[in-house]
Amino acid sequence: MRAAIEAYDAGANVGVISKLHPTRSHSGAAEGGINAALGNAAEDSPETHAFDTVKGSDYLGDQDAIEIFTREAPGDIYQLEHWGAFFSRREDGRLAQRPFGAAGSPRTVYAADITGHVLIQVLYEQLVKRDITVYEEYFAWKLVENDGRCQGVVCWDLLDGGLKTVGGKTVVLATGGQGRIYRTTTNAYACTGDGAAMALYLGVALKDMEFMQFHPTTLYPSGILLTEGCRGEGAYLINSEGERFMKRYAPNAMELASRDVVSRSEQTEIDQGRGINGSIYLDMRHLGAEKIIERLPGSRELAMTFAGVDPIYDPVPVRPGAHYHMGGVQTDNDGATELTGLYAAGEVACVSVHGANRLGGNSLMETITFGRRAGRAAAEWALSHTTIEVPESVEADAERELKAMLGVERGERPWQIRQDLGTSMLENFGVFRRGEQMEKQVEILEELRERYDRGVVIEDKGEVFNSDLTQAIELGNMIDLARCMLQAGVARRESRGAHARPYDFPDRDDEHFMKHSISRWTDGRPELSYDEVRFTKYEPMERKY
Amino acid sequence: MAMQVGLKVWRFNARTGERELQEFEIDAPEEATLLDCLDIVKDRHDGTLAYRKSCRMMICGSCGMRMDGAAVLACKTRMYDVAQSGHVPVISAMGNLPIVKDLVVDMEPFWDKFKSVDPYLRPGYDEPPEGKEHLIRQERMNVVHKEALCINCGCCVSECNAMESDPLFTGPQALAKAFRFVGDPRDGHKIARLEKLNGEHGIWECTRCYFCNERCPKGVDPRDAIAKLGAESMKEGIDRDMGAKHAKWFVVSAKTTGWLRETELVPKTQGVVSAIKQTRFALDLALKGKVPPPFPPHVAKDVREARRLHDLVRDQGRSGYAGIVQGERALARLAHGHAGEETLDEIYARPGAFHRPYLAGEEIPAGADEGMGSRTQADVTPGEQPTQKPEGGA
Repeated sequence: MRAAIEAYDAGANVGVISKLHPTRSHSGAAEGGINAALGNAAEDSPETHAFDTVKGSDYLGDQDAIEIFTREAPGDIYQLEHWGAFFSRREDGRLAQRPFGAAGSPRTVYAADITGHVLIQVLYEQLVKRDITVYEEYFAWKLVENDGRCQGVVCWDLLDGGLKTVGGKTVVLATGGQGRIYRTTTNAYACTGDGAAMALYLGVALKDMEFMQFHPTTLYPSGILLTEGCRGEGAYLINSEGERFMKRYAPNAMELASRDVVSRSEQTEIDQGRGINGSIYLDMRHLGAEKIIERLPGSRELAMTFAGVDPIYDPVPVRPGAHYHMGGVQTDNDGATELTGLYAAGEVACVSVHGANRLGGNSLMETITFGRRAGRAAAEWALSHTTIEVPESVEADAERELKAMLGVERGERPWQIRQDLGTSMLENFGVFRRGEQMEKQVEILEELRERYDRGVVIEDKGEVFNSDLTQAIELGNMIDLARCMLQAGVARRESRGAHARPYDFPDRDDEHFMKHSISRWTDGRPELSYDEVRFTKYEPMERKY
Repeated sequence: MAMQVGLKVWRFNARTGERELQEFEIDAPEEATLLDCLDIVKDRHDGTLAYRKSCRMMICGSCGMRMDGAAVLACKTRMYDVAQSGHVPVISAMGNLPIVKDLVVDMEPFWDKFKSVDPYLRPGYDEPPEGKEHLIRQERMNVVHKEALCINCGCCVSECNAMESDPLFTGPQALAKAFRFVGDPRDGHKIARLEKLNGEHGIWECTRCYFCNERCPKGVDPRDAIAKLGAESMKEGIDRDMGAKHAKWFVVSAKTTGWLRETELVPKTQGVVSAIKQTRFALDLALKGKVPPPFPPHVAKDVREARRLHDLVRDQGRSGYAGIVQGERALARLAHGHAGEETLDEIYARPGAFHRPYLAGEEIPAGADEGMGSRTQADVTPGEQPTQKPEGGA
């Protein structure tokens, strides 16, 4: 939506395609906040923000992109505030900022613990104000490539049925993450990596696919997110012995160490038998009823509804869960991909701001800052070029493929494959990764792909709201993205950020792996290569919190 | 651990108009929500079942539907107790919106109404300088805190009685969204917004059944927002609507006699000419003893108390949204027996209670408006207080 608003303001004719109504996208579930060095709560600067982000990325982030990001973030926050965003305030009336993991200063602007919800509302309000066309509940299935550039999207119209092709001189992917590849995830059912898969199938490069962030505090058993803001407000992590175990892993930052560090610490405690039912406890009791109700009402509601625990009186069982995919479609600093006319921004993209590990509060900011930049660049290209040509064969091919999918009468239902995918990925490509487990997972994924290719049965053959069909398409996307993740993961023989191999390659290896992995689709399978990391002034150091 | 869940689902095919109540019997984990159960049905029993879903954590607003006739978010509804009781609930699509298929409704009328209230900030003249935020105290923002929680799920619209009789009624969601901006200190078009909301199908069409408050899964309390819009309108002198006149007469009547004088209510609300047309109806009512004779006015024995209350509210200077919220909340507390013999001051002095609402001219203690949600506007969602830890621990 941020890209659409910017493109509209630049004078372009814009349409938004979304498989959900725009306010239902998963950015709305972001809780804790959005990072910008405003310096309202303490001394801060874009340089400090950049340093924290580079260090958090385990030096895999592209430093020129990060510098643009931290420099432009404050202006974007003020703009959101002017548009009417409902942010929390300090006593002097300025925007409040709270501490977040691995941040050198309290820099996270927030709205209690519904920051994402507030932002998605304000963006939709601005969309309505501009009367921008929204193709609601259009499931984007295939990108149109013609004449060496991207010229539109083939969609399945959920409400009315039928394939609809939307032509465009430029297309900006903003389709979010792919957390649904894992069984335990904070992500919505909609987060199935559709955009990344569409780009992949056109041969566009995906970058750093092995890096999946595990969030340290997701509810047991549902995987629903409890914000880092809980720890930002002072919550403890304790093991079955009641010990604040983070003192053994990150004696300075404690619970507010970087997410990869905290998740690994938790998993170690659980693996060594100091967990509780495969979880550890997030303890907020000492914060007191008033602070919990004022600052973390949403988290309390989630804990009460989904874990049956009121954090005012009892610690909440949490464990690491798949949360955010650092990798994605490779773009330059203006969101442009390898393919002319195709842009990407947000979680689907990999600029890369987050490198091997993202800091809490940086993802919402990335969607805004790089959404704006991608929208601007896409509009400028569109305004200086004239034609759109979608060959008729594109829709005819899609139509044929669709008929074949709906024609399968005998075989497996997609949910069985989806379940096997989620369970095996969690087991073999989770917080800690072992060489032999990853090798096994590569085979499992090939088997899953074969099972999928044999044809899955879509019971709903109808036109109207056929989510049975779209879920089957999503499953195919997820299997292939998982194959890219595994291939890159096996090849990265080091531990960096979210890619942790304590048993065979426990250290970071800057000599061989200070580089981005690149996955490209060739003959029905991913092919791996590498690309340089862009440096400016931040020298790699050991990461300690 | 698994449990057995029975569901009766109203299937609907828009193309043929066929409707069918289909029963399912499934095994589900004990912590399963209604949404989890529907997923099991769709995956393993009938892939053609249609419903919306996404976040499964009560924030995207996709999965609004009805269970046993009342609107719920499927992802928020735990099924354990229902399953244990042996009851088989009936699941159907939301009300007041056309059904597309099974549990999926056409949300277009909903969004059209949303758009009709200009749901975006229209800044006033005092724009802050570039590169700075507006300076606003948290307590001032808290005025629209609850309205900002709305996730557009449509549960309130589904239950709205006024919309059932007038489908064009702007409705609880859109009106709550409208108050989100009427109450925002950064918005510069409050009067214009209120003028529009006082028009046909506007705020005065609400029947005050409170179903929207009851059914909202996020505690937005749309009816309260509508009340606040009414109060703000009257404060700004926008009182031409019969609804406003009606409300005004209530106050005058209660102040002067301590009673509601219904006979005078009609001319005061509808005007003299319209009232004369209803004389026959009034006489019929009088003959059947349904209304007291208009003269002499019946004055309550303890009318002075009513007048004191009126003066008290006036002296507080809390007209508009501030007064109405405080008043409604105080009454709700009394009505639900929360207060007992306690005074409001004592209630607010309870451990864990919210700050007492500050009266005009009163000093606000330092730190009282830190962070969000310190609710200095007496804006307390019922049931939001800490739950009591069960005796003997959990």
